[in-house]
Amino acid sequence: MRISFLLISISITIGLVSVKATELAAQGVNTRLDISIGSEDLSSVIKKLEQKANVAFAYDELFLKIANKHVNAANYQNESLKNILTDLLKGQEIGFKEQAGNIILYRQLTGRVSGRITDESGQPLPGASVSIVGTSFGMMTDADGRYNISLPEGTYTVAASFVGYSRVESANVTINGNQTTTLNIRLVAGSQLKEVTVSYGKQRAREVTGSLTQVDAAPLQDMPVMQFAQQLQGKAAGVQVAQSSGQPGRGVEFRIRGAASFYASNQPLVVIDGIPVTGSINNMNPAEIESFSILKDASATALYGSRAANGVILITTKHAKPGDAQIDFNANYGVQKIPGERVPKMMDARGFAQYMNEKFADSRKYEPGYTTATPTEYLNPEQYGEGTNWYKLLTRTAPIQSYDITIRSAREKSSSTVMAGYQEQQGVLINTGTKLFSLRINQDFSLSNDKLKIGFNLAPSYRLDHNNRLGTDGVGGLFERIFEASPLKSPYNADGSYNRDTYSPGMVAYINPLAQFNLTNDDYKTTRILANGYLNYEFLTGLSIKTNIAVDKGAETRQYFQSGVVTSTVGQATGTSSSVDNGSYTAEANLVYHRSFGDHNIEALAGYSAQKYSGTNNTLTGLGYPSDDIPYLNAATSLSEGGSSYSAYSLLSGIARINYNYKGRYLLQGAVRRDGSSRFGANQRYGNFPSVSAGWVISDEKFMDRFSFLNLMKIRASYGVTGNNFFPGYYAAQATIAKYYYEFGGASVAGQTINRLANDDLRWERNKQFDIGLDLSLFNNRLNFTYDYYHKISDGLIMQRPIPKASGFTSILDNVGAIELWGHEFTVNSTNLTGKLKWTTNLNVSFDRNLIKNLVSPGYIRRNNTVSSDYYRQQEGHHLGEFYGFVFLGLYKDANDLANSAKYGSASDVGTIKVKDINGDGVIDDVNDRTFIGDPTPTFTGGLTNNFVYKNWDLNIHMAFSVGGKILNAAKWAYQTNLDGSRVMLAAAADRWRSPENPGSGVYPRTKTGTTAMGRQVNSQWVEDGSYLTAKNISLGYRFNLGEKFLMRSLRVYTSVQQAFVLTKYSGMNPEINFAGLDPTLGIGVDENAYPIPRTFSFGVSATFK
Amino acid sequence: MKKTYIILALTALTAASCKKDFIDLTPKDSYTDATFYKTVDQFKQADIAAYAPLRDVLVNDYFTSEMRSDNTIYQPYPSNRGTAYLYRESISNFTNTSTNDYVNAVWQHCYTGISRTNIVIERLKTTDFDAAVKAPIDGQAKFLRAFYYFKLVRLFGGVPLFLKEVTKAEDAFLPRSAADAIYNQIIADAKDAISELSAPAKFPQTGEATKGSATMLLAEVYATQKKWADAETLLTTLSGMGYGLNANYADAFTPGNKNSKESLFDIQFLEGTVLGTTPNPLPFHFLPRSTNTSIITGININNSSTGGWNTPTQDLINAYEPNDKRLDASIGMVEGTYNASDLFVYSANKSVIGYTPAAGKMGVPYIKKYEHPPLIAVTGSSDNFPVYRYSDALLLLAEAQNEQGKSPLTALNTVKSRAGLPATTTADQASLRTIIAHERRVELAFENHRWNDLVRTGQAVDVMNAFGAVLKTQVNYLTPDTYNVTANKLLYPIPQPEIDLNPGQMTQNPGY
Repeated sequence: MRISFLLISISITIGLVSVKATELAAQGVNTRLDISIGSEDLSSVIKKLEQKANVAFAYDELFLKIANKHVNAANYQNESLKNILTDLLKGQEIGFKEQAGNIILYRQLTGRVSGRITDESGQPLPGASVSIVGTSFGMMTDADGRYNISLPEGTYTVAASFVGYSRVESANVTINGNQTTTLNIRLVAGSQLKEVTVSYGKQRAREVTGSLTQVDAAPLQDMPVMQFAQQLQGKAAGVQVAQSSGQPGRGVEFRIRGAASFYASNQPLVVIDGIPVTGSINNMNPAEIESFSILKDASATALYGSRAANGVILITTKHAKPGDAQIDFNANYGVQKIPGERVPKMMDARGFAQYMNEKFADSRKYEPGYTTATPTEYLNPEQYGEGTNWYKLLTRTAPIQSYDITIRSAREKSSSTVMAGYQEQQGVLINTGTKLFSLRINQDFSLSNDKLKIGFNLAPSYRLDHNNRLGTDGVGGLFERIFEASPLKSPYNADGSYNRDTYSPGMVAYINPLAQFNLTNDDYKTTRILANGYLNYEFLTGLSIKTNIAVDKGAETRQYFQSGVVTSTVGQATGTSSSVDNGSYTAEANLVYHRSFGDHNIEALAGYSAQKYSGTNNTLTGLGYPSDDIPYLNAATSLSEGGSSYSAYSLLSGIARINYNYKGRYLLQGAVRRDGSSRFGANQRYGNFPSVSAGWVISDEKFMDRFSFLNLMKIRASYGVTGNNFFPGYYAAQATIAKYYYEFGGASVAGQTINRLANDDLRWERNKQFDIGLDLSLFNNRLNFTYDYYHKISDGLIMQRPIPKASGFTSILDNVGAIELWGHEFTVNSTNLTGKLKWTTNLNVSFDRNLIKNLVSPGYIRRNNTVSSDYYRQQEGHHLGEFYGFVFLGLYKDANDLANSAKYGSASDVGTIKVKDINGDGVIDDVNDRTFIGDPTPTFTGGLTNNFVYKNWDLNIHMAFSVGGKILNAAKWAYQTNLDGSRVMLAAAADRWRSPENPGSGVYPRTKTGTTAMGRQVNSQWVEDGSYLTAKNISLGYRFNLGEKFLMRSLRVYTSVQQAFVLTKYSGMNPEINFAGLDPTLGIGVDENAYPIPRTFSFGVSATFK
Repeated sequence: MKKTYIILALTALTAASCKKDFIDLTPKDSYTDATFYKTVDQFKQADIAAYAPLRDVLVNDYFTSEMRSDNTIYQPYPSNRGTAYLYRESISNFTNTSTNDYVNAVWQHCYTGISRTNIVIERLKTTDFDAAVKAPIDGQAKFLRAFYYFKLVRLFGGVPLFLKEVTKAEDAFLPRSAADAIYNQIIADAKDAISELSAPAKFPQTGEATKGSATMLLAEVYATQKKWADAETLLTTLSGMGYGLNANYADAFTPGNKNSKESLFDIQFLEGTVLGTTPNPLPFHFLPRSTNTSIITGININNSSTGGWNTPTQDLINAYEPNDKRLDASIGMVEGTYNASDLFVYSANKSVIGYTPAAGKMGVPYIKKYEHPPLIAVTGSSDNFPVYRYSDALLLLAEAQNEQGKSPLTALNTVKSRAGLPATTTADQASLRTIIAHERRVELAFENHRWNDLVRTGQAVDVMNAFGAVLKTQVNYLTPDTYNVTANKLLYPIPQPEIDLNPGQMTQNPGY
C-alpha cells in the first residue's frame, strides 16, 4: 500500500488532484463504525481506522509527518468514516479522498481569500454575504464591507450577495496555501440598498419609510442651463418644476405635490450640505452638485418642521472619496434662440394701417355723429410693407456658456474637493444677461480611527446681472411692450437719436421699447458665501455628537440709471444706487445613537437648531442729471429719495427622531420637531411637528421565497404634520408704525401711525399629510416601480385676509382656511436592454388634486376688485385658483339675437361679444354674471427619460409633460386683441365682425366705439388647454477612453439641445407659465407675458485627468 | 469623556436660556404700536398722519362731488376704453355701479382717515398729559373724523360707525348705522373740536384745523339738516376769529397766498423734491389730455394719461353773470385740435370771455383757478385745494338767514361786490333762495361743493336731468342710459367689496 504514495504525492504537486469534496465516492468513506480514540498520534489512529473500517489508506507518512501529529481524544458511535476523518484531520493540513477503494491521504495547505464588497459608487456594504459555492464556507462582511475566509488550497467560485443587489459570482478563484488571494467585488444596482440622503443623515433606501426621490446629478450635466432647478424638470414624480420665465438664470418654480398656499410660498426648502438656504438658490453652480434628495411626505420632511410643508430638496455637493485623485474639466457652449413658431403673429405696418383705416371708416358708417377723419397715416395702407419689426429688433440669438473644473483628492484620512466655475448667459432679449463666478472648497478630515470627523465647506460666488431684473414679465412689462409699439414708426429720429414716441394715431402713448432696453442700465452685483463647518465625534461606541455651524451670507449692490429719453416723465433721468447686506447663520448640535442588538437595529437622534437671518438695505435715488454721460449719483443734482432699513427673523428648534428596524424587514420611524419662530403672533410662536412612519419589506419574508423574480417588495406608510413659515414680511404679525407726510406752515411734516394690523394669534400654516407607498424591484432589479398615494390637509392657510375697508385697513394677515390635496404618483425605472446596446427608461407620472375645504367669511377670496384682472377666485368647494369671469357665447349675430339676449348696458350691439346671463335677470352685470370658467390644475404631469448607451456612444432624451391644466391667456385677450386700435393686434384679429354680411371668424367682435371692453374682461374665451409635451433635453455624447498612460484618462464630447420642442395646443408662448412667479397671490396658470424661453443648441466636452 | 458631557450640558443650557429672546424680534427700523403713542410729539405725529388721507379723498372726490354735477364733464377718449376711463366717465354719466373704483376710493380713504383719528382719540384718553396739551390734539382728530364722516354720510347715506381703534379682524365687520346716528356723531365731534381748538393765531395760518374750520363744518352740517338758526349762530362767530375776504377772488387760490384770512380749511400741497413733500397733481388732471401742456402750465408736461377730467360745462360758463370777475379767474380756454389718438394739440391759451374758436380749431374750457404757471416741476404744483373759504361761510350765512326769513343781503352782497357785481336788493325769499344758490355755484365752482349743494337743496334730480338732456344734444358720445337721474342716484352705491365681505350686514342702497 505504500507503493502508491509517491505517485500520489507527485500528482498532487503537479496539481492533477483537484480536490472537490463532492468527488468522494460513497462506498469506503461511508462505512459506519464505532471507535474510541485516545490522546495519540495520527499514525496509530490511521492504523486503527484501517482495521476497524476495513479500508486501505494510502499515504506518505514522512511527507505528511503523520507520526508527529496528535489528535484529541474522541469517541465515535456509528459515525461515518468520512465524518470521523474530517474531524480528526481538521487543522492538520491533510486532506483525504477515496480513490479505487483506497483512501488517499495527501498534504493539503490552506490559503485565504479576502477583500471588500462595495456598491457601484465604491461605498462599502457591511453585512453582505460572501460564500464559496459548493462548500459551507462563507461569512458576512464587517462594518467596512471586508471579508476574510480561510480555505483549503484549490480553485473556487466565490459568490457575493446582498439583498436588493444582483448576486455576483467570481469563478476560478485560486487559493494557494499560506497565501491570501484578494478579491474585491462590486455589487451593482439594487437602488433600494444604496444610501440616500435624508433629513439629518443618510439611510439605506431599503429602510426608508418616507416618500423621497433621490436624483443623481451626473446624468444631468449635459443640460446647458444655469439653474439646477431646470435639471430637475420631470425627474421625480410629484415634483413639478416649471420654467415660467426665461430671464437668464431665473424664473424656475417648484411645486412638490401641488404645494398650495394662497399667500405663503409654495417653494420647497433647499438644504445644501446641511445648510438651509435663506437666500436665492440661483447662485449655485449646478456642476457642484453630486445628488439631489427630494423629500415629499411628512415623514421624510418632518425634521425640517415648520419649513417643510412644501417639501425639502437636500443637495449634496461633490466630496472626494477615498482613492480619488483626479481633475475633471467641463466646458459647454451653446446658442439660444426663441423658437419662432411660438411667437405671436402680430399685424405688420400694412396690416395695422389697413385695420385702422377700416376701423375709422366703420365708425363713420355705423356710429351716428362720428365724424373723425381717418388719420393720414392710415389713409393708404398699401404704402407700407412690414414696417418696423420690433420683435426682431429686440430679440437676438444669444450665447450661453459654462466652464468648470473640479479637483478631487482623497486619502484615507482626508478628502479635498475644489470646484471652480464660470457661467455666462446672454439674454435672448437684447442688452440683458447674467454672469456667475463660483468656487467651492469641500474639506473633510477623519481622525482618531474614524471616530472624529471634521469638515469645512466654503462656497463663495459672485454674480453680475445686467438688466436682468428689469420688469420684463407681466402686465406692462417690457416684453409686452415689444408687441405694442407701432410698426409704422421708426425707432430712430432722422438724426439717429431714439424716437421716444413709437405709437401711431389712436394708440396708447407707449415709449419706444428699443430705447427702453438700450437706455436703461440696471446692474446688480451679488456676492454670496455659503460656508459651514461640522464636527462629528463618536465618543462612546454607537453614540456620536454631530455639530454643524453654517452661514449663508449675501451682499448686493445695484446701480440703476435710466436716460431721460425713456423715463415716464420726459427728461427726468433717474438714478438709483442701493446696497443690501444680509445673511443667516444656523447652529445645530445633535446626539446620534446607532446600535444593533442582534436583529434589532436602532438609530436615535436628538438635538437642537437655531437659525437667524438679518438684512440691511440702503437705497438712494437721484434726479436732475445734466446728461446721460455719467450714470452715477455723483452727477445727479438732487437726491430725491433715500432710506435704510433692517429686518430679521429667527427660528429656534428642538428635534428628535427614532428609527427602529427588526432584521431590516420591519421598519419604524418616529420624529418630532418643535419650532419657535419670530414671525408669528405673540401667542402662537411655537409649533410642534410630529410624524410617524412604518415599512415592511415583504420580500424578505419566507413565504415570498417562491417569487424569485421579486427582488424587493416594500410597503410603507406615514403620517405627520409639517408647517410653512415662508410668507412675506418678517414682522407681519406685528403692528408697525409708518410715516405719512403732510404740509404745515409751508413745510413738509412727517406724521406717523399704525400702517398694518397686528395679529397676535397668527399661527402656523399646518400641513397634515398621510402617505402610503409601495416599492417593487423585479427581475434582478431591472424593473423598479414606486407608487405613492398621499393625502394632505393644509389648514390655517396664511393670507392677507381682506376685511372691510371701513375699518381703515384693507386686510389683516390671518389664518383663513384649509385646502385638501391628494394624489397618486407612479415611478418606473427599467433597464430595457443590457447588452451591447444599453437602454434605460425612467417614467414618472403624478396625479395631483386639490379642493378648498373652507375659507373665512364670505367663503371666497378674489384676486382683486377689477373685472378686467380679477382672474381667479379662491372659493370653498372649488379647486385652487379656478378662473373666474364671464361665459363667452360668441357674438350677437343680428338684431333679433340682440333683442332676445341679455345685454351689457349700452356696450352690447350686433357684432359685439355676448356673454351668459348667469343669474337670468335679463341684464349682464359685473357682480352677478361671472362664474368659474376653468381649473388650472393639470390632470396629470410627469417626465420621461430614455438613456441609450452603445459602445462609447450615449444618447439621452428627456421629456416633461402636463395634461389637462387650463391656462388663462390674459396676454392675448387683454392686450394683443384690443380692437380699439390702442395696441398692435394679432394678425388674426383682422378677421373680425364688420357687418352681418361680413361676420369674420366669429372670434373677434366689431370695433364700434365703447363696445369692446367685454373682450378685455375675463371671459371663457380666454381659457385654453395648457397641456404640453416638451422635449426638455436631447443630448448625444461620445466617450474616448484613453487608457492609463495618458494624463487625460477620458474625454467625452457631447452635443445637446435644450427645450428641443414643445407640443401643445396652447396659443401663447409658454405653456409652462402655469406658475405665475414666486408670488402665489398671482395665481396659477395665468399668462400675462413673460421673458421667452429659448431653445438652446450646445456643444460640450468633459475631460478627466488623473 | 466628562468634558464632553459638560460641553453638552452647557450647550443645552445656552439653547434653553436664550430661547425667549432669540425669537422675540421686533422691528428696529420703525416703531411698533407698542412702542409708539408715548409722547406728546408722537400723538401730534399721529394727528398729522390722519390729515394725509385728505389728499387721497380729494383726488377721487372731484369726480363724485364736482364732475357728478352740472359744473363739469370730461373729455371723451374713444380710443381708450379701459376701466380706468369707463369708471370715471360713468360717475359723470350716472351709470356708475357698485364696483366703481373711484367712488369706492372715496369710501376707503375717508375711512383710513377715520381709523387714524380713532387711534389718536382712543389712545389719548389713557395718557396723563395736561388737558391743555391734549385739547389741540384731540380737537384736530375730532374735526377730521367729523369731516370724513360728513363726506361719507352725504355720498353714501348711513355707513358703519367706527369710533374705536380696530385691533383685530373681528373688529372690522360693522353693519351700517342710520344716517342720523352718523350726523349725531359728526355734531358731537365738531362741537368738541370747536371747544378744544383755537382760532388762528395769525394769518397766514399753518394749515392745521382750527376753531374756525370746525365751526364752518358744523354750520354746514346744520344747514344740511336745515337747522338754520344753529347754523347762523355758528357762522356769525367767524368774523370774530379774524377771517375775512381777500381783495380779489383769485387771491384765494394763489400758492403765494396760502392759508390766508379767507381760508377756513384747505387741503395742503407743496411742490418740491424734499422727502415727503406732495405736489398737487390736479392742475394736470383738469386740462385736456396732451403730450405737451406747456401753453398752459409753462413747462413741458405730458398729461395724456392723467388729463381730460373736470372740464367746465358750457352750462356753467353761461351761468356767470356779465362782468362777473370770477368767470375769468375760474375758467380759461385752451385752443387746439384733437388728433386721431384723441390727444389735444394745444395751440393757444384764450380767455373764456367772448370766446370764439379760430378757424380749424376748437376751444376746450379748463379750470383756471388752480393753474399758476409756470410750474416749477413736472410732478405737480403748490396749489392748495380749498375745502372751506370765508365766502362759503358768508353765502351759507345768507342762506341760513334767508331761510329764517331774515335779510341775507349783507352777507350776500359782500361776496357779490368782490365779484364786481351789483348788490342784490330784493327781499323776496324765493328769489333770494335762487340768487344765493346761484352765487354758491359760481363762487365755489370746482371746490367740490356743487353736487352736495344740489342734493342738500333738493334740486339734484331736476337740474341734472335737464342738464343731461341738453348735453346729449351737444355731444355724440353719450348713450341713452346716461343721465337718467332718479332719487336713488342721490346716494352712491355702497362699494361692492364691502357688501361681499360682510354679507347680510352690509346692505346696498336702493337702485343699485
